[in-house]
Amino acid sequence: MAYEIKEEKGKDGRKVYRIDRDHLVELMNDLKKEGYDHLTLISAVDFRDRIEVVYHLEKSSDNFSMLVVKTETKDNHMPSVASLWESANWDEREQYDMMGVIFDGHPDLRRILLPEGWNGYPLRKDYDMSKVQYVNMDEEGNDYVSFDPGDGW
Amino acid sequence: MKTGDAGFITTTLDKAMEWSRSNSIWPLTFGLACCAIEMMATQASRLDISRFGSEVFRNSPRQSDLMIVSGTVTKKMAPRLRRLYDEMPYPKYVIAMGVCVIQGGPYNQGYSVVLGVDRVVPVDVYVPGCPPTPEALTNGIILLQKKIRNEADR
Amino acid sequence: MESNLTNRYIELNMGPQHPSTHGVLRLKLTLDGETVKKVEPVIGYLHRNAEKICELDFYCDALIYFDRMDYVGAMNMELGYLEAAEKLLNIEPPERVKWIRVIMAELNRIASHLVWAGAFGLDLGMLTPFFYVFEEREKILNLFTEITGSRQETNYMSIGGVYQDFNDKIIFKIKEFLSEFPKKLDEVYNLFVKNDIFISRTKNIGILEPEVALSYGVTGPMLRASGIPYDVRKDEPYLVYDKINFTVPISKKKDVLARFIVRFEEMRQSVKIIQQALDKLPDGPFFNPKAKKSLMIRLRGEGDVYARTESTKGEFGVYIVGDGSVKPYRVHVRSPAFKNLSVLPYLSRDVLIADMVAISGSIDLVFGEVDR
Repeated sequence: MAYEIKEEKGKDGRKVYRIDRDHLVELMNDLKKEGYDHLTLISAVDFRDRIEVVYHLEKSSDNFSMLVVKTETKDNHMPSVASLWESANWDEREQYDMMGVIFDGHPDLRRILLPEGWNGYPLRKDYDMSKVQYVNMDEEGNDYVSFDPGDGW
Repeated sequence: MKTGDAGFITTTLDKAMEWSRSNSIWPLTFGLACCAIEMMATQASRLDISRFGSEVFRNSPRQSDLMIVSGTVTKKMAPRLRRLYDEMPYPKYVIAMGVCVIQGGPYNQGYSVVLGVDRVVPVDVYVPGCPPTPEALTNGIILLQKKIRNEADR
Repeated sequence: MESNLTNRYIELNMGPQHPSTHGVLRLKLTLDGETVKKVEPVIGYLHRNAEKICELDFYCDALIYFDRMDYVGAMNMELGYLEAAEKLLNIEPPERVKWIRVIMAELNRIASHLVWAGAFGLDLGMLTPFFYVFEEREKILNLFTEITGSRQETNYMSIGGVYQDFNDKIIFKIKEFLSEFPKKLDEVYNLFVKNDIFISRTKNIGILEPEVALSYGVTGPMLRASGIPYDVRKDEPYLVYDKINFTVPISKKKDVLARFIVRFEEMRQSVKIIQQALDKLPDGPFFNPKAKKSLMIRLRGEGDVYARTESTKGEFGVYIVGDGSVKPYRVHVRSPAFKNLSVLPYLSRDVLIADMVAISGSIDLVFGEVDR
C-alpha cells in the first residue's frame, strides 16, 4: 500500500480510518474492491480552520457492517468519489451546497437544495444569518437571488 | 299536506350568489409539508370535508376557488406559490394552515423560510396549530364560508 | 424563444405543484411522444434549514425538527435522533422505555405505510383505498392522542425517556386495535391486488437490480423488494429488537408490485412486534433521572456519533458532532428518501409517463425528509 492509514475507534464503537486527502481515492478504490459496495453518507463538518469530510461505508456481504473514513481539507477542495458509487453524486452536491466543499472531478456540481445563485454556504460557522436573501423567479422559470427585499420573498 | 304550490322566497341576487359560492368552495390540491397530511385526513372518511361542499380538490389552479397553504413556504417555493395564486380565477380565497405559514413557526430563525405567507399572497383565514387538527381546518373553512356570506354587506 | 417544431424531443415540466409528486417534487422530463427519455428531479422546495437550527438550540430542543422531517413517521425520526444523542451524551434509557419506544415506532410504521398505500392508490387512479387506509390511520392517531396529547408531530420521546408512561387502559386499547387490524389490512390488500388494472400497472414496471440499488444507496422496502434483506433492526439491533421474534420480508421480483407487497408484509410483522412488546413490557421508571427536565439543558456531549435506525423509508442515520458545549456542533441527517429518490432517473429511462408516476409513487417520498 502506498498510503498510510491511521486507525482509530470512534465513540460509537465503529472502526475509523483517517487518511490524508491526496490518497483518499486510492483507499476508496481498494475499499470498494474489498466489498464495501454501499456508501451510506458523506458529511462535512466545519471546524473553522479546516473542514472534515466523513464517509460512512457499508459492506453488504458482511451484514452491512460499517466503516468510517475521515479526511480533511484546508482549501475546500476534495477529490470526488462519484465514479465509484452513484450515491456519492447527490451527497457531494449536497455538501457543496451546504458547506462549500468543492469536489474535483464531480460530473455535475451544482446546488441541489438552495436556489442557484445563493450567496454563501449556510452550514459554515461563519455564515451570516442576519443578511437576508430574497428569491424570485424570471419568465423562464429560473430562480435568481438578491439582497433587495422589494424583489422576491 | 302537499298542495303542489311552488312556494317562493325573496332575496337579493348578491345574497343568492354568496350563498351558492360559499357552499361550493373548491380547494386547490396544494400540499407543501406536514399540514398536507392533516389536510388529506380532513378530506378522508372520518372528517368528511364534502359536508361543507369542498370535497372536489382540483388539480389545476384554473378551476379552484380556495388555496389551502398547508405547510412551510420556503423562499424557493414562494415565487411558484405566487404564480399559482395569480393563475386562480376570481373570486379566490386563501387559508393559511399551520404556524409555519402564519409566521415561520419553528423554522423562523432560519435562512430559507418565508416568515408568513401573507408576505406573498393575501390571506383570508388563519388556522393556527402545528399541525392544526382536521377539526381546526374544518372550522377554518366554516369561518371562510361566513366571511363569504357577508361580503355584500361590507 | 426559438421554434422547436423540428425537435423530436419535448421538454416538459412536472411540479412542484402536481397531484402525483407527493409534495413539492419537480421533475424536468424529456419526452419522445409518451415515452420518458430523461428525468431530472429538482428538489429543495421544502428546504427548511433544520440542520442549521439544530445547532442553535440545546440537545433536547432539536427533537421538534426531527419530528417534522418525516412527518408521517415522526416517532421513527425521534428514535433516530435519540439513538445518536443518547450515545453522545452517555445516557442510557431505562428498560421499560426501550419497549415503549419499540411499540410507538412500530405503530407509526403502520400509520406511515397506510398513508403511502392511500397516496399510491391515488397515483394510479384508485380513490377507494384512500378512504379505507385513512380510517385505520385515524385509529392509530387516536391512540397517539391519548398517549401523547398530539396527533401527528407528537414530540413524545425525550432524551433518556418518554414524556408519559403507559397505563393499563392504553395497553388494553392498543391490544383491541391490534386484534381488529389484520382483518382490515387484508381487506385493503385485496382492494389492491384483486384489481387487474392495478396489477397490470405495477407488475414488471420499474425493475431495480440489487447491484444498482446498492450503488445508489437505496435502502428500506425498496432494497428489500430487490432481494437484499437489509434491515437495521436485524443487522445492527438497537433498543430491544434482538429480543423480539420477527422476519424481514423480501421479494425477488424487484418491481413496483414487489415494493407494495413488501410494505404490506412489513405492516403484518409490525403487528407481531407490537404484540410481543406489549406482552413483555417490564415495570420500571419511564425516564432516566440523569435526564430530568431541569437537568436536560445542561447535558454536554463531546466527540462524534453516527447512529442508524430503520425508519419507515429505510436506513435513517444521524451524525452528531459535539464540541463539549450544551449545543450540538453539527447535525447531519442521512435521509433514506433522498437516496431512494436519486435512483428515479435510472428507473425511468424509456418508460411511459404513467409508469414513471407509478415508479415515483413506489419510492415513498416525504419531502420534509428529502429536503430537510
